[in-house]
Amino acid sequence: MKRMLRNAILSSALLAAASVAVPAAAQDEAIYIPNLAYRTGPFAATGTPLMNGQRDYITLLNERDGGLNGVKLEYDECETGYNTEKGVECYEKTKARAVVTQPWSTGITLQVLPKSNVDKIPILAPGYGFSPMADGKVFQWAYNPPSSYWDGASMILKNISDGNLDSLKDKKIAFLHLDHPFGKEPLPLLEVLAEKHGFNLVPIPVGLTEMQNQSAQWLQIRRERPDFVVMWGWGAMNAGAITEAVKTKYPMDQFVGVWWSGHDGDLKLVGDQGKGYRSISWSVPNSEAPLMADIKKYVVDAGKSQINQGEGEFDSVFYQRGLMISVILVEGIKAAQEEFDVRNPSPEQLRWGLENINLDEARLKELGAEGMLVPFSTSCADHTGHGGGWMLQWDGAKFVKASDLLTPDRAEIEKLEAEKAKEYAEANAPWPVNEECSM
Amino acid sequence: MFYRTAGQFKTSYEADHALFPVRQDAFLLGVVLVIAFVIFPLTASEFTFRALLIPVLIYSLAALGLNILTGYAGQLSLGTGAFMGVGAYACYKLITIFPEMNIVVAIALSGFFSAAIGVLFGLPSLRIKGFYLAIATLAAQFFLVWLFQKWAWLYNDNASGAIQVPNIDMFGITVAGPRATAITQYYFVLCVVCVITFFAINITRGRIGRMWKAVRDMDIAAELVGINLMRSKLMAFFVSSYVVGIAGALFVFLWRGAAEANLFDIPLSFRVLFIAIIGGLGSILGNFLGAILIVALPVIIGSVPQAFGIPLDSAMVEHLNIMIIGALIIAFLIIEPHGLARFWAMIREKFILWPFPH
Repeated sequence: MKRMLRNAILSSALLAAASVAVPAAAQDEAIYIPNLAYRTGPFAATGTPLMNGQRDYITLLNERDGGLNGVKLEYDECETGYNTEKGVECYEKTKARAVVTQPWSTGITLQVLPKSNVDKIPILAPGYGFSPMADGKVFQWAYNPPSSYWDGASMILKNISDGNLDSLKDKKIAFLHLDHPFGKEPLPLLEVLAEKHGFNLVPIPVGLTEMQNQSAQWLQIRRERPDFVVMWGWGAMNAGAITEAVKTKYPMDQFVGVWWSGHDGDLKLVGDQGKGYRSISWSVPNSEAPLMADIKKYVVDAGKSQINQGEGEFDSVFYQRGLMISVILVEGIKAAQEEFDVRNPSPEQLRWGLENINLDEARLKELGAEGMLVPFSTSCADHTGHGGGWMLQWDGAKFVKASDLLTPDRAEIEKLEAEKAKEYAEANAPWPVNEECSM
Repeated sequence: MFYRTAGQFKTSYEADHALFPVRQDAFLLGVVLVIAFVIFPLTASEFTFRALLIPVLIYSLAALGLNILTGYAGQLSLGTGAFMGVGAYACYKLITIFPEMNIVVAIALSGFFSAAIGVLFGLPSLRIKGFYLAIATLAAQFFLVWLFQKWAWLYNDNASGAIQVPNIDMFGITVAGPRATAITQYYFVLCVVCVITFFAINITRGRIGRMWKAVRDMDIAAELVGINLMRSKLMAFFVSSYVVGIAGALFVFLWRGAAEANLFDIPLSFRVLFIAIIGGLGSILGNFLGAILIVALPVIIGSVPQAFGIPLDSAMVEHLNIMIIGALIIAFLIIEPHGLARFWAMIREKFILWPFPH
């Protein structure tokens, strides 16, 4: 007993000493890319393939090309479990050496966003985060390429109305969303559009505790008989909604989700019965692409990947989207390296790089990823790129591309972006804006 | 030898009623305070402040609030998270409505809002006890979190439904918001926690505290000796919710910087309750020990593999962490079911006798 006590005290003292010494010096040469990952917790099922994709693209560059322009990339994960408290911890832990923050949750993004002006580390939130971040003059340090949630909402409406939003007049659209900052994101835009085009918007929130059991929400949907159900779901909520939709026999071709609601695993649960379900996406899986062949050769077959091959993760939308996310980041780093002629760009230099990404079709083809990502380019005023997206449709076994490239209706969104960005800057005064940017 | 209490005579009532009748206790506290006020600020990194010290202090304060209610007055509550939320939202509204208000004043006032809500939900305690009361406070938990989500006025109609802390200055120094430095925030939290702990120690060992303990141990007997049950129970709810509300305001303003409603959901209540139980119900020290175990230890364990260069996946570290902390909680509860505070009391007893045990 006594010895146990002494051991306990001793070891805790050791631990405390160790924790103070954490920010140890590591190799200066590699570019350190931390990722606030979540492979545990209620969102792990959807997070893991994305993180695997991000990780594998970096591994590929290191294995195939010896890094980026000869500099190794050091990919590191810090586990948050999608918990905002852990998010802060991870941010503080990694920020000393980080060139970029990848917060991976709208809640964590909201926490680190105000700090970006102080710590001067760019935030890269591809396809998530706060939609007004598109306004690069106000949000100098935040990037959400290639499409924001508001872009997504606009594209979904455009697609279900065949390009003419006025045809939605007097129709009823249920907006099934997670009752969380992420799910509420598109509401301001949808409300504006509903008023303008005369459709009837029914927001149906799903609480975090009722994600897996949405019988109340689907009862409401059955009663309201909406013409379309638009879903902003994540993690366990997607599977819950899709199985409920099957159970209540809601027509699948009237059910459309955001890009985070297009996870193969969720649809595999219902298989053929989910046929016709659509999800907007700015990336398309293409296992035949040259890039994928390289990934297979250098990473997967070399045993350096963590993917679950038996489950077909390699072909899944989310894994390949994870790859695209790293493609976007690496393009930014490369732009910074070339502009400033440095091997290891600083966060400030990377900020310039992320503002000058030019992923056009030619560049995507060069990377061997033609058609896997929407072509887009960023600028100091436009941190999103607004590349648009495609509709993916579930054919009973996999997601297939079901539309041409859709683009958002920017006129409405820009007004709202400017307004909300201004509000944010005022609420967080003093908030420096980029005055050098003349675009 | 070092902890010998023999020979310390009290010659006056004041000396006998002193906060620390034993000299070594006062000395030990002095050492802890010197470490907290001088050594940590000189040595700690920003990570240590933001991930270890500040959260431990804030969680200790929340557990202290709960401990007043549950440990001293014997009223079980599962609504701590929601009461913290009331404090946080009240502080947010005060700061945004009166931007020139001093943040200390705003935090002190926001405690009154959560105290009022606490008393309201404490009313059932006059009729029901134990688990039944826990269910009533659970209702507060669900209702308040729902309210935080639905009442857009509370978060100033923010599109994402979250509250965000603006930059707040006090005497020319930014104490809250993204521009505040970690060390200022640490000192701010530390001072608030010290002041409240000082009052809490004095309340709980004085007349009111004895009243609460009497109610806790047997309410019928307490009523028979002339204690007004309604007053003492509601007072316990008031004081407890006040402290919890302040902890909630600090939680968002001095630490998180942004919060959405579901942050104050039941997991937070349970976390605070665990801290209070593992630390020791009916003690002040226990809250701090409990918070160190529940809040700080996972962070420390999580950074061990990295510090020693052990290549482990961060997800694996997280899994191991959960297992280790779980095992430690069970181990501590087996060794000392009355919590870490009692554990320390036993060690102290041993020290007093050492090196000549009976």
